[in-house]
Amino acid sequence: MSAETTKERTMPETPVKSKKSNVSFVASVKLTIISLSLIAATVLVGAWCPQEGQVGREKVFEAFGEKAAPVLIQLGISDIFHTPWFLFLIALLTLNMVACSFQRVFPKIRLLRQPLPALAGDAILRLPYNRVVTLGPTRENEEEIAVRLASVLKKKGFKVTRSTKGDARLTAEYGKIGRLAATVTHIGLLTLVGGVTITSWTGFNGFQPVKLGDSMSFADSQHSKLWVGSLPDWTVRVNRTWKESYPGGEPKQWYSDLSVIGKDGEEKKRGVISVNNPLTYDSVDIYQASWGLDSLELKFNGQARELPLQTMGGRHAAFLPLDSDSVLIFSATDQTPDSPLRLFAKRTEWEAPKKITEIKPGQSIDMGGVQVQFSRLLPRTGLQYKRDPGLGIIYVAFAFIMAGVMLAAIPFRQVWASVEFGKDTDKDTDMEADTGSAELSYEEKADKETDLKTQSTKVLYIGGRSVKARVGFERLMDSLVEEHFVAESEASSSLEEIKP
Amino acid sequence: MSDFQIALTNTAGISSVMSFWVFVASNGFRKRRDIMVKIASFVLIVGFLALTIAIVARGVEAQRFPLSNLYESLLWFAWATMGGYIWLRRTYGIGQLGWLASLTAAVMFLYGSWLPQSQHEIAPLVPALVSYWRQIHVPPLIVSYAMLFLSGLCGLIQLWCSGRSRAVIVASATILTAFGAIILGTFYKVEVLYLQLLFVGGSIVGVLLSWWSLKFVSEAHINEKNANVYDDISYRCIVVGFPLLTIGIITGGLWANHAWGSYWSWDPKESMALVTWLSYAAYIHLKVHRELSAEKLSLVAVIGLLLTLLTYLGFNTLGFGGLHSYGQFK
Ligand code: HEM
Repeated sequence: MSAETTKERTMPETPVKSKKSNVSFVASVKLTIISLSLIAATVLVGAWCPQEGQVGREKVFEAFGEKAAPVLIQLGISDIFHTPWFLFLIALLTLNMVACSFQRVFPKIRLLRQPLPALAGDAILRLPYNRVVTLGPTRENEEEIAVRLASVLKKKGFKVTRSTKGDARLTAEYGKIGRLAATVTHIGLLTLVGGVTITSWTGFNGFQPVKLGDSMSFADSQHSKLWVGSLPDWTVRVNRTWKESYPGGEPKQWYSDLSVIGKDGEEKKRGVISVNNPLTYDSVDIYQASWGLDSLELKFNGQARELPLQTMGGRHAAFLPLDSDSVLIFSATDQTPDSPLRLFAKRTEWEAPKKITEIKPGQSIDMGGVQVQFSRLLPRTGLQYKRDPGLGIIYVAFAFIMAGVMLAAIPFRQVWASVEFGKDTDKDTDMEADTGSAELSYEEKADKETDLKTQSTKVLYIGGRSVKARVGFERLMDSLVEEHFVAESEASSSLEEIKP
Repeated sequence: MSDFQIALTNTAGISSVMSFWVFVASNGFRKRRDIMVKIASFVLIVGFLALTIAIVARGVEAQRFPLSNLYESLLWFAWATMGGYIWLRRTYGIGQLGWLASLTAAVMFLYGSWLPQSQHEIAPLVPALVSYWRQIHVPPLIVSYAMLFLSGLCGLIQLWCSGRSRAVIVASATILTAFGAIILGTFYKVEVLYLQLLFVGGSIVGVLLSWWSLKFVSEAHINEKNANVYDDISYRCIVVGFPLLTIGIITGGLWANHAWGSYWSWDPKESMALVTWLSYAAYIHLKVHRELSAEKLSLVAVIGLLLTLLTYLGFNTLGFGGLHSYGQFK
């Protein structure tokens, strides 16, 4: 007797529409796809066109010229993330997600606790993956074969449940936790929407360049139109701010020493911030965002005066007009703390400024009876600040989303098996080889059956499915069945052939 | 850069080119195909190991995590593409993805070697990049790009195996055009609007044409078994690449919040990563709900590949600007 195996694979390539009868359009995946695609397209346009909120309106003109820029501004494309269109799409997706999550995704958690029903051979044959193995006459009974299969599956990481009804059926699952993927991800997405809403209704943020020694308040901060938050009444004083450079001169790090000053003028907190290292007070975070030179402090005969510095290439310049034709130019650099100040003069009729002299920090020169002293360069620190009350919730959402998508990577596999008494012969298995069986007389058939019984032939039905890694699953099952069942039944059947 | 490192990187580059040609040649020899695929894969494994050591050596030499500019990220991308293929071959026993994977790696090596010397040198970091977040944020992204790239390549093979050769040709031409735009943008002074048009316009036209070409089926070429296998692998790559992309985007948000005080600022590159993320979310829903045939899903994976390419290389080279311009050097 030879071992016959049949593979029946249903081809899932033809699109099988999932049951949608009781699902409204609001909760349909079709709407998800439509809104995801529209949002993606809108964000793509927003990524392409410089956004006013980020880089300012001038950039839009710079990029598209005087003709096209006003059109883009008019259409809202240069501020696309605040247009009613974008907000509408987000609302649509949120609505879709809420409806879908509650109607279809969350109810599936129940499936996790439900045990898989044990299936009989003919039901197993309807599974996407299925195989029938006719085992040669063995001394093992059905029960023992099932136990053996269970231990093989367990070795492969499956959780096996044996039927308790006394039949030799089993079910096995692998990666069941992967089924939580959709639930966890969607809880995360809903939480994200919640967190973002809280922030947008109560949070604020802003940016302010602050000169050394000056203080910053929060009066100029930005927040959304729908806002129920409040602004702090304390201010931030810049005690010291400096930069650190690489030997080559490239900036390495910027620092600011800040004090939080209460309404009563008292120092509440003090700390040094740097890029990637903010200061937090009263749930407001203050970040080092940029750094530059602000102004030049000179002393004329001991009287201090500040001149604003302008960036010109790698250097900074301050201008002191003398009359309508002539100007003094001070050129400074912050390369090293003792870099000298260069002094130039320029008259309208001259082609280029003329260098007069250099002054080291702290030194002074005599110019027509006036003592000009280079006292210091005043830096300016760019401070970014924000209060973000939804942040904690958003971080929780991030954790859920990350966990959820990682769970989605786990292939979820289900296996059903049933060892039955050799009744398969009048079903699919031997049919192909034995096409004439339909014409067998009743007696012959009965004979065959008793024959099988006495030889105690058993048939292993095994099937299963894995939506996420179908082919890998099928390879796994094939090798498992071949190694542990087909090979053996072949071995025993060849023994059989030798014996008589 | 030390000679040791250069030698190893060159070994990796050369072995990717060699394995590509052995893969191509394997199609000419029916009988010896299996053994040739084995040889090609072996050469690729050698290259992968050489590249692994090269990257580690670069990190040791630079005294920092070796992923901070375009050149280094290309090395990582090639590394992940080779590694991804080796992993898929181990689990699925497939060979034919190999020639596309080695071609991709080889192209990335070539592209990297053409970059100006300043990119190859180990340079000090700008203030914004001095952070431990860099090594948390960037590697998952680069590896996810490689996995998503592989999934698009599997999509091409799936289309081929299901007899859609015309769609494959159009889709491949689209990918080449997109990459051509990136090469032009990197090495030549071309008006950015034309570059963007070439990439985005070319992709839209190409995808629509390929979609339409799905109608043409050459029955003689159909290999249903392989089509199924590649459909499955394409999904597998996405299911691995998608969480990595998610982790990359979220840790990027955490870093941005830490450094600038805002986890999301609609920076062009950020937005683009979101577009890519959303499109793969769409793919996953389409797949789970079996809304589309395997062939159409393969094309969705190809669209994903184009978006991944735009996110990874397109934004810096095609003049989209933004905060993430560290990869730029012009
Ligand atoms: C906004 C509307 C959305 C709707 C209506 C929706 C709907 C669904 C549905 C019905 C499922 C299948 C549940 C199941 O069969 O077990 C699902 C799964 C999933 N969804 Fe969504 N979804 C939406 C948005 C998103 C987004 C934006 C993401 C982003 C990551 C996402 C991630 C996932 C993941 C990871 C799964 C699990 C897939 C798997 O089992 O492999 N969903 N979604």
